[in-house]
Amino acid sequence: MNARRGLWSLAGTMACLLVAVTGCGTSAGSPAAVRGSVSGPIEPHTITWLNARPSDGPVIKAVADVAAEYGKTHPGFKLDIISTPDRPSYLQKVVTLAAARKLPEFFDVDATPFAEKLRRQNRLVDVGNLLDEFGAKHRFRPLALDYQKFDNGGVYGLPLEFAMEHFWYNKSAFAEAGIEPPRTLDEFIADCKPLRAKGYIPIALDGKDGWPLERYLAYYPFRLQGNAFVKKLKRGDAKMTDPAGKAGADFIARLGAAGCFAKGFSSAGYTDATDLFTTGRAAVINDGTWDLGLLATDTLPASLRNDVGYFKLPTAQGAATGTDDYVVSSGIGMAVNSQKFDPLVKDFLKYLVSRYPAKYAAMGQLSPTIDTPTAIPGNATPVYGQVIREAERLGTRTAKPWDTELDPTTNNVVQQNLVLLAQGNMSPEAFMKSVDQAVTTNSPRYFSK
Amino acid sequence: MSRNGKSPGGGPRNRSLRHGNGGVLPGRNRRAAAVFLLPPLLVYLATVAFPIGESLFLSFFQWDGITRMKFIGLDNYRQLLTIDSTFRSAAVHSLVYLAVNLVIQLGGALLVANALTYLRRGQDTLRVLYLLPAVLSTVAIALLFQRVYSAEPEGVINQVLGAVGLGDLSRPWLSDVHTALVAVSVPEGWRFMGLYTVILLAGLLTVPREVEEAARLDGASETRIFFQIRLPHLRPVWLTTLVMATTYGLRGFDVPYLLTNGGPGVSTELLTTYMYKTAFTSTDYGYSSAISVFIVAECVVAVGIIVALLRRRGEALL
Repeated sequence: MNARRGLWSLAGTMACLLVAVTGCGTSAGSPAAVRGSVSGPIEPHTITWLNARPSDGPVIKAVADVAAEYGKTHPGFKLDIISTPDRPSYLQKVVTLAAARKLPEFFDVDATPFAEKLRRQNRLVDVGNLLDEFGAKHRFRPLALDYQKFDNGGVYGLPLEFAMEHFWYNKSAFAEAGIEPPRTLDEFIADCKPLRAKGYIPIALDGKDGWPLERYLAYYPFRLQGNAFVKKLKRGDAKMTDPAGKAGADFIARLGAAGCFAKGFSSAGYTDATDLFTTGRAAVINDGTWDLGLLATDTLPASLRNDVGYFKLPTAQGAATGTDDYVVSSGIGMAVNSQKFDPLVKDFLKYLVSRYPAKYAAMGQLSPTIDTPTAIPGNATPVYGQVIREAERLGTRTAKPWDTELDPTTNNVVQQNLVLLAQGNMSPEAFMKSVDQAVTTNSPRYFSK
Repeated sequence: MSRNGKSPGGGPRNRSLRHGNGGVLPGRNRRAAAVFLLPPLLVYLATVAFPIGESLFLSFFQWDGITRMKFIGLDNYRQLLTIDSTFRSAAVHSLVYLAVNLVIQLGGALLVANALTYLRRGQDTLRVLYLLPAVLSTVAIALLFQRVYSAEPEGVINQVLGAVGLGDLSRPWLSDVHTALVAVSVPEGWRFMGLYTVILLAGLLTVPREVEEAARLDGASETRIFFQIRLPHLRPVWLTTLVMATTYGLRGFDVPYLLTNGGPGVSTELLTTYMYKTAFTSTDYGYSSAISVFIVAECVVAVGIIVALLRRRGEALL
């Protein structure tokens, strides 16, 4: 009897401890804080930014620079920057801190279903509202803000980057193979054979991280229906077996069957893929302008320096999107924790928004703002300036990455099975069925109808 | 302790004198035991027992870490055991991973340790060389094997196969669904083989030389000496290493995760990598807790089976 009572009290203690540890309360920021409204004096203290960016990258350098300037006029202020560039490790930290209600003042987040849950809990400050209040919204590129938009149309992440994704190609390899940059997605597949015949790996791909191959899956549906297809698919309102989805699955299967990717691409990481291209062994790589320092400066081997060109996402028969509509992103956004939003955080954000773009653009980067021209670095190749100017010719629609749209469990199924599809281990039909099953099972937990 | 494993002082009587109520300085002994044993016990409870209890508790809930927890009873276990095909695949993969590791770590280590006992010089140098992979960082090992297994550009294995005329066997070892699981298991086996070699070698060096010499004089072969003299002496050490290697193998995570992230498809998904993804990608803490409870239970059952199999009648091993 005593032993049983002891067990019950142990279980009770465990339950209390657990509730204390996991913090299952519903504490959230006040509605005013969510709108970005706070009052009171500015009292300098240390604030923290948990981010998913390389610690020596231009974003961190520019933000640190702005914070140092701000600190000079606000003694006692310090911005503690914690960088975890490895995305899975970063996400592990964020979800753990979110569960423990310990997220810092600033943290990086994409407009994912996970972030949507935080928003619904009133834990994110409406950054769009703040930018309006600062009188800075009109300075931002519409596509940079679009990328950060949640399904309710609000912006909850401050864009700190702007990048266009192109297909970078080796001009000599193409000339040797007797081909031109493809105009259609079907021509893209056809180009693989002559490139293989000349000993090139047609497309360098980081298969281990999942999202680069998922981009290829998204291209056909984007060309045929814009973002409408993935927006419907993620809620179960469209099926992968629908014509647009089938075209995407078939495209991956055909790329794989044509030998477009390196043998064993599924275990190759990001650096492996870029190395294949920058050493001249691969003929094409799908990469963003964030890698311009790698693709369009004198860090390239001399033999390749003037051989690198780029082409935009090829079109498709029956396309609903234009050739200037493709993947454009403003990177992972900087979210503001409504629970820790105070006059200092707001004042620093205002200062950051006003000072950051110029510092960032001075480092040769494309700023998310319209009025800040990029300083082309001295060691840039001609293609650097050429691709930067593409930002002025962009269309009005940007292809949304599927990994930020689908619920995380479905996304995992898509990424895992996509490799099998590209390797020929899974048929397009089986792939489509697995995606539809995953959406049916998982999407109700993330998206309300 | 004598070689037959029994205390020369007569066992129980001697223990009662030293530790029992009527022993020397009993009060001080108790205090000393408490001082030395209590802190590690508290640390153990806080870092091992509490998280296990917490996982067990969470496994009865549906919880994403953001919204309210919802009690769902045994639903997570029901889904785990009856619906989730990825879990079943991961469980089978974990056993294959364990088997490959045990063969390399213990089988390989026993062969190497036995061979080292015959060396008169260079034994220490070789011991250090074999132990070296155990101190290398996991990331370095993953990078090394990624290149070793590579097909395009061609890695060492495929180059060697090509050089000896077995080019037909060349393949992307980590991307081929038929070879990926064994390919991610081998680095972990290789990494800790040296550690077990050192432990088993220490055990082999305690085997009485005179018994082996007597057997040789009686005409026993080296194989017979190994199986009938060395192995029986090694049994307690063998059991300890077997328990260590089994529990480490069942908890294996880092090298497979870094090499293939569970892919291609789910062909290298282990219970541990699946649990990690369920918790930190899908943010389904309840379900991932159910998986972690299964892993704990699996480890306990595995150790129980090992002890039961190797136990001699009436003799405690652990």
